[in-house]
Amino acid sequence: MTEIVLKNIFKSYDQTEVIHGVDLKVESGKFLVLVGPSGCGKSTLLRIIAGLERITSGEILIEGNEVSNIPASERGLAMVFQSYALYPHMSVYKNMAFSLENLKIDKKTIEEKVNSAAKLLQIEDYLQRKPKALSGGQRQRVAIGRAIVRDPKAFLFDEPLSNLDAELRVTMRKELSALHEKIGGTMIYVTHDQVEAMTLADQIVVLNEGYVAQAGAPLDLYNNPNDTFVAGFIGSPKMNFMNVKSIKKDDEINLKSESLNIKSSVDVEVNTDYTLGIRPEHIYICEKNDSDLEATVDYSEQLGSETYFYCNTHDASQLIVHQTGQYKVAKGDKLFLRFDRSSIHLFGVDGKAIKNKS
Amino acid sequence: MKNIRINIKNFFIRVFNIPFAFLMHAIDIIMWPIQKIVGVRNMPYIFLLPNLFFFGLFVIVPLGVNVAFSVTGGDELLFANREFSGAKHYNYLFDCENYLNANTCTEDFFWRGVHNTIFFVIFQVGLMIFFSLLTAVILNKKIIGRGFFRSVFFFPVLLSPVVVGLIWQWILLKNGILNAFIEANGGDKFSFLTDPGWAMTSSIFVSIWAHMGFYTLIVLAGLQAIPPNLYEAAEMDGTSRERTFFRITLPLLMPNLLVVFILASIKGVQTFDEIYVLTGGGPGTSTSLIVQYIFTTGFASSGSVQNFGLAAAASMVLGVVLLLLTLIQLYLSRSRENKHQEI
Repeated sequence: MTEIVLKNIFKSYDQTEVIHGVDLKVESGKFLVLVGPSGCGKSTLLRIIAGLERITSGEILIEGNEVSNIPASERGLAMVFQSYALYPHMSVYKNMAFSLENLKIDKKTIEEKVNSAAKLLQIEDYLQRKPKALSGGQRQRVAIGRAIVRDPKAFLFDEPLSNLDAELRVTMRKELSALHEKIGGTMIYVTHDQVEAMTLADQIVVLNEGYVAQAGAPLDLYNNPNDTFVAGFIGSPKMNFMNVKSIKKDDEINLKSESLNIKSSVDVEVNTDYTLGIRPEHIYICEKNDSDLEATVDYSEQLGSETYFYCNTHDASQLIVHQTGQYKVAKGDKLFLRFDRSSIHLFGVDGKAIKNKS
Repeated sequence: MKNIRINIKNFFIRVFNIPFAFLMHAIDIIMWPIQKIVGVRNMPYIFLLPNLFFFGLFVIVPLGVNVAFSVTGGDELLFANREFSGAKHYNYLFDCENYLNANTCTEDFFWRGVHNTIFFVIFQVGLMIFFSLLTAVILNKKIIGRGFFRSVFFFPVLLSPVVVGLIWQWILLKNGILNAFIEANGGDKFSFLTDPGWAMTSSIFVSIWAHMGFYTLIVLAGLQAIPPNLYEAAEMDGTSRERTFFRITLPLLMPNLLVVFILASIKGVQTFDEIYVLTGGGPGTSTSLIVQYIFTTGFASSGSVQNFGLAAAASMVLGVVLLLLTLIQLYLSRSRENKHQEI
């Protein structure tokens, strides 16, 4: 069981700083997912942990030992690459045995370890094949098998499912989750796919432009995003945002835009601009009298079990509304919408969440 | 405005079309009756004809002439004046008590050339692969001035073989630049070109220097085709540098090294000009290769002993060797292609 800690990690390429003081703690045996848009530094961070990239400053602790200056080969971690990185001239067996041969382990033990990993991943039938004779999913299993046989201190995954088709990705996601339960090692997983992050992680770290935007349990991030970036990134389709202004009316403070007028449930300053955020599933279709705003359907996606409406409002912001079931709505139809009061998020002009003072 | 622009565009298209259309019509006038006669299916052969003509004129016909010369005797160039001699020249070339000892052969110069060529090719090709690989591996690393060094190593390939021969003659002669340098540093002069052992060593060295850039390029291309991820995976697998080289780089580079091996062998067997300029085949016959034997026998012998027939026969023997090497290359590259198709 391995705990990995990053302290104040900086990384620059020439003059360009790409990681700006990241602090991170991966608890032993946990599945941590680094997620963020392209270029946010998540792969760089993983490669830093692996030892494939040198840090500019900071500390990397694996099991409490500082490893910043220790080469990748001596850190005892295993990595699964997006492109699988299988040795094309070696059979599946040789690919998996290679790292053990490096350690000069006796042949019998190697055979036992490879066979047991192959059994776990259901690739026993392909052991004598070359990687080119395998499908994408099988290759990825071999790559994972290659990592497992070494009994590494931790597993690092660099977007391992990106090259697979949608259906296979879902299957492999489940298998990875099951694998984590079975072997129970510390795992760090990089992805740009927030669905993968939500489904696999014990802990998610959202990265944005080389900073940690927020770290926490998947649903914690979903329910209590720190800022508009995390709010927009976690959840699909993304959270709706509307620009509002706080207006004092009698004893209440209302959040007002051209199309919306709603009582604030959080303590806010008067006459200040805010961004209101609400997820598509927290908007309901209702009667005119109960509604918070009126919107015109731009187009709708009918998925059978659920329907997404993409609506235009008077203040030019587009709202995505999620409803379960099927609806017969045409472009240009008017909808009266009501926001779930308890699910409204409010962000300041700096994008930071305004939390209830409790 | 838009209409005017379209009209101008159309005008130019028409103007440029006039000569093109004229040319096409002119070709049609010729091609139409031909197509009538041979049929559409055979038209590709008609299109290939011009190229085939020149290929035939400069490759097939000389080959035929060469065969004809090799089976006829005499000093005359015109066939009408040459007598048919059958396999006489071949028998003469292969008349040997012991092929490994040139002195027991009737035509000992030929066999010395053969032995020298075999020795030359074995060492030249072996060392060529070694140095090309070494250079390519270094040039593939992130070193300062990498682009400059890549050009420097390729530059000799662009030189004419005669220039290569002359440059190294100036350097390696008894009174050349290298000996001057050695002498200035208190050493004794070396007979780089006049001692039999040194002359062959110098020839091999110069030949490698002149051609290495090309093979380095092939190996370098192979190195760059190896995905960097594999090296990272090897690093994560805790692989030592040497093991990474021997277990990952080298096996993945094998197809390129095979190409280098075959091409360098073919080129090595054909070597003539740079060595001829450098050593003249000497001292004695110590650096005289097969092609030099053919050249000397056919064209450069003094007096009336120019023997076209014998030279032609020797070049036929060389041709067969080259053909075998080429067939091996074709076979190997084809079997590789088939392997790729299996994927």
